[in-house]
Amino acid sequence: MATQEQVITVQEEGREVAYRYLASVEELKKTGQLTRWIDDHDILLYEYEGQIKALSNICRHFGGPVGYHKARDGEFVCLWHNWRFSCKDGSCLTHPGLPLRQYGLKIVDEKIYVDLLG
Amino acid sequence: MKRITLTAQFQAEMDCPKEVVMWNYYDHEHLVGTHYKLYDKARVLAERDNWSLVYRSKRMPLLPFYTSGIGFQYMDGNVMKSFHKDSIGFMLEMEADFKDLPNERCSVTVTYRINTHPIFKMFEPFFKKIFKKWFWATWEEDAPMRLRRWKVHKLGFKDFSGIEYVNKKLAKPEDGRYEKYEFNPPVKTASPIKTVQGVERPFTQNTELGYTD
Repeated sequence: MATQEQVITVQEEGREVAYRYLASVEELKKTGQLTRWIDDHDILLYEYEGQIKALSNICRHFGGPVGYHKARDGEFVCLWHNWRFSCKDGSCLTHPGLPLRQYGLKIVDEKIYVDLLG
Repeated sequence: MKRITLTAQFQAEMDCPKEVVMWNYYDHEHLVGTHYKLYDKARVLAERDNWSLVYRSKRMPLLPFYTSGIGFQYMDGNVMKSFHKDSIGFMLEMEADFKDLPNERCSVTVTYRINTHPIFKMFEPFFKKIFKKWFWATWEEDAPMRLRRWKVHKLGFKDFSGIEYVNKKLAKPEDGRYEKYEFNPPVKTASPIKTVQGVERPFTQNTELGYTD
């Protein structure tokens, strides 16, 4: 595994995967949920049932911020038009068939990295 | 009897094309989302291409109660005109005039008018104060929505779909071109806002973590 300040590269299933630095575990612990743009990806990072997960923060309805509100009862509610999404897997509870994309994560030395292509 | 018109006018600019702001003004469903602290219910009673008749329940600044009422709004070129009759009894006329500025920016001039009995002239300062607070409260909640809408549009966002390269886990296309933003009312919806049920805000308060930096 090669490590740079903002990127780690890992061999996975025959391909070299570059993970980008997203946040520290400590940052996430403060609120249990945060959002961050990396390049042109708006990413919603959160902890749910003891697991750290990441979803696209872009609602598939009109592009609203899914993680604007703190999740309640295992659900995110998009600020703009109240579309609801499951914290478990990003599935859309109001309009099934339009789930949020999940991102692969890697946690190394209390730092959270994201695979923008995985 | 002679009547008077109470008037308040505000102007502001946005870093996005006017069509994005027109979409925002014409979107009834976001009232109980983006403006969930101000509006608690909304329902589209009737709608055609460029007009709509809408029921709304809201709480105006400085007034300690909710008022509900019916509003009719339509597009007249680059001007959105609306007429609101609330339970308070006044009919409010509003005009929002959208103008293009250079560099994909725009300006919006909003005029509020109430035509009423001369006795209400003494309340004009209060009227101006309420609408000043109302204009800027809603503007501050809408501004990040418009900028984000414009941003995701430039990334290739399609309504009821999303951004293809994000959803399909592909690399972002090298071609940075984007389509002109079109505003074609009515705003498409999949919610019960056009039914007798209408839409309601999901909560009265919640922990807000805000927009992405």
